[in-house]
Amino acid sequence: MKKNNILLKTLLMSTSSFNIFRYTTDKKKKGKIVGAFFGLLILYAMLMFYFIAACVGYGKIGLIDSAPVLCALSISAMAFIFTFFKTNGYLFNFKEYDMLMALPFEAKTVASCKFLYMYIKSLGWYMSISLSMMIGYGIYAKPGIITYILWIVLSLFLPIIPMLAASFLGFIIARISAGFRRTNIVQTILSVALVLFAFSIRFIMEDLFRNNKVEEVLTDMSGVTDNMAGYYLPAKWFANAITGSGISDALLLVGSSVILFTVVFMIVGRSYRNINSSLKNHAASKNYSMTAQKTKSVLNSIAFKELKRMTGSTAYMVNGGMGQILCTIAGILVLIVGFDNAVTMITQNAPFDHAIIRPAIPFIIYFFIGMVATTACSPSLEGKNYWIVKSLPISTETLYKGKMLFNMYITVPFMTFGILCLCISARVPVLETILYIILGFALCAFSTAWGCVCGVKHLKLDWENEIEVIKQSAAVAIYMFPNMIVTMGLIVLVVVLGMHMSHNLIAVILIAIASALAALSYLRVMALAKKNK
Amino acid sequence: MGNTVLEIKNYTKSYGGGKIAADNVSLTVEAGDIFGFIGHNGAGKSTTIRAVVGVLDFTEGEIFIDGHSVKTEPIECKKVTAYIPDNPDLYENLTGIQYLNFVADVFGIGAKDREDLIKKYADAFEITDSLGDLISSYSHGMKQKVAIIGALIHSPKLLVLDEPFVGLDPKAAFKLKEIMHEMCENGTAIFFSTHVLDVAEKLCNKVAIIKQGRIIDVGTMEELTEGHSLEEVFLEADNEEK
Repeated sequence: MKKNNILLKTLLMSTSSFNIFRYTTDKKKKGKIVGAFFGLLILYAMLMFYFIAACVGYGKIGLIDSAPVLCALSISAMAFIFTFFKTNGYLFNFKEYDMLMALPFEAKTVASCKFLYMYIKSLGWYMSISLSMMIGYGIYAKPGIITYILWIVLSLFLPIIPMLAASFLGFIIARISAGFRRTNIVQTILSVALVLFAFSIRFIMEDLFRNNKVEEVLTDMSGVTDNMAGYYLPAKWFANAITGSGISDALLLVGSSVILFTVVFMIVGRSYRNINSSLKNHAASKNYSMTAQKTKSVLNSIAFKELKRMTGSTAYMVNGGMGQILCTIAGILVLIVGFDNAVTMITQNAPFDHAIIRPAIPFIIYFFIGMVATTACSPSLEGKNYWIVKSLPISTETLYKGKMLFNMYITVPFMTFGILCLCISARVPVLETILYIILGFALCAFSTAWGCVCGVKHLKLDWENEIEVIKQSAAVAIYMFPNMIVTMGLIVLVVVLGMHMSHNLIAVILIAIASALAALSYLRVMALAKKNK
Repeated sequence: MGNTVLEIKNYTKSYGGGKIAADNVSLTVEAGDIFGFIGHNGAGKSTTIRAVVGVLDFTEGEIFIDGHSVKTEPIECKKVTAYIPDNPDLYENLTGIQYLNFVADVFGIGAKDREDLIKKYADAFEITDSLGDLISSYSHGMKQKVAIIGALIHSPKLLVLDEPFVGLDPKAAFKLKEIMHEMCENGTAIFFSTHVLDVAEKLCNKVAIIKQGRIIDVGTMEELTEGHSLEEVFLEADNEEK
């Protein structure tokens, strides 16, 4: 236990901005840390505002009793998804594996401390949701003091079971992949397959609960949440403990979290060294014979280097390529089931003319593709290898251009494919289709350049783990959140505009706006490159 | 002499696709030995070393440290072993002293002892002034020095080093050699890999030459060289195996 504490404390300290702030003499670095801290506070405040507002909404329509279940389900879903994407890189295949495993720690100690580290680092997000929903619940339900105490204490346990489930799935995937020569590729394929399965489960469950009856869903929302809690017991235990102050339910949640934690890391510990050995070591085949070599332009060469960097990391591939895979699957599915049927399924038979959705096609596809831009993390991913590109006779502008080119290579074809699938299925006229493809291209250019602005502006080379850059960096957060919100807003806007204006005209206007934004972002990247010379 | 600290018995490591990185490697390092492990790049030195320190899983064979099996009693083995990798990945956002305290905590070294030992080695490597700085601000050599101090402060029975002199300035390299001698006089067994044959010749009393995962020559320095230089012996052994 003492060793667990030592290791956990060190893991936390080794990535703590406070430690850097305390000991660094670099004033610029200190300023960035303070800026990032306030940025984080703003994000927490936004999240809390959203959930308090949601709770007030439930309170006003008399559904406040569902707030505890919703809180538990929201936290559990977030904890599961975020952990699953982080497992490879945090639990397995991490940078300092050799250093830690050479010290007298048991494998299960290292694995469990890495898990607890992930838990503590993400607890702020989960507690923000929980506390804000508790405030909302408190306003309407006016419970006793014991309920607040139970809510806070049990919230600390809520993320553990989904995080353990995600970690265990990551462990199984890593265990299976370890048996293959191309471990990384197998691991990526299995991870993507699992994510797709999770998405399909979501739809199956939604269908199960909704049964295509929109009105019933709206009038019987508490029934829906109760149903879901019936499938996921920890949510039910949490809700029962809060609404009925049931100590036995509280004990069930705490007890099962602790027992599952112990069991999972007993199992993981047994194969830990074997899995990491397979993930971190690759045999040299030593069978290469010199063949004719092809030349590439400098930009293509940088783009190729980026491709190899991406395919060399499961975490990078899963995060950076998920949008493209989802977009391809969505495109093919819409072609098979038909645009009208797809819209009917998604909008639950809502009565409206499906043609009004047509102007939103490029944005629907962009919602997948633009979710992540490799340019937001690729400058930081250079990490300790930054010296290689910096010592080459290429300008920083060229380096960033190469990185942007790579993102265009992996977004434009998928964007075009997705738009074409939807346009064919929706029988969009040819000229309109061409305009949507051009708009898609402009959106890709914007996503690429804006991602690069964020990536360069918030460059972080001294990371301990690439997940810090791929999933948790300021650059990715600043790129992703405004991008998602603006995209959703634009989808609504173009649908509304489409009812009053020609679709072609809307597309032309949006092409102009997206191109202007892309150009501005590109110019900003070039200015930052000059500054970073 | 005669007190075996490290015993590698028929150690084999193969990867997927049947590639063999280490093939039936056997050797013994006794207390007081400075055992040099030499070979080309990719010969299997680091693979063997990483298996010895319990980082890498292996396919066949056994490795014993101070009588304990690396496979079945890894913690007992690690308690008496110190490992310095060729390119130490330390926690960059800790200060040097925070990292050393972490290692000292893990090995349960008391406050006074750790203070004395850290001071002794940090002074020897002339790094005391920098211990309060973040490791991210260190040069490669300084990181190497911190890793070495971290390895020495718990007075291990077996010191395993992978290319320890790479990145060290001449004075630090000299100091490390001095410390290695001092440790082996106190009964520590030292097992290290190197490309620098001159260093191995001057420092080691035993040597093993590894090529394509197999030990092609092993013995005391006198047995192996027989009046020739280690470089000549290495090149001859290498050519014979071709």
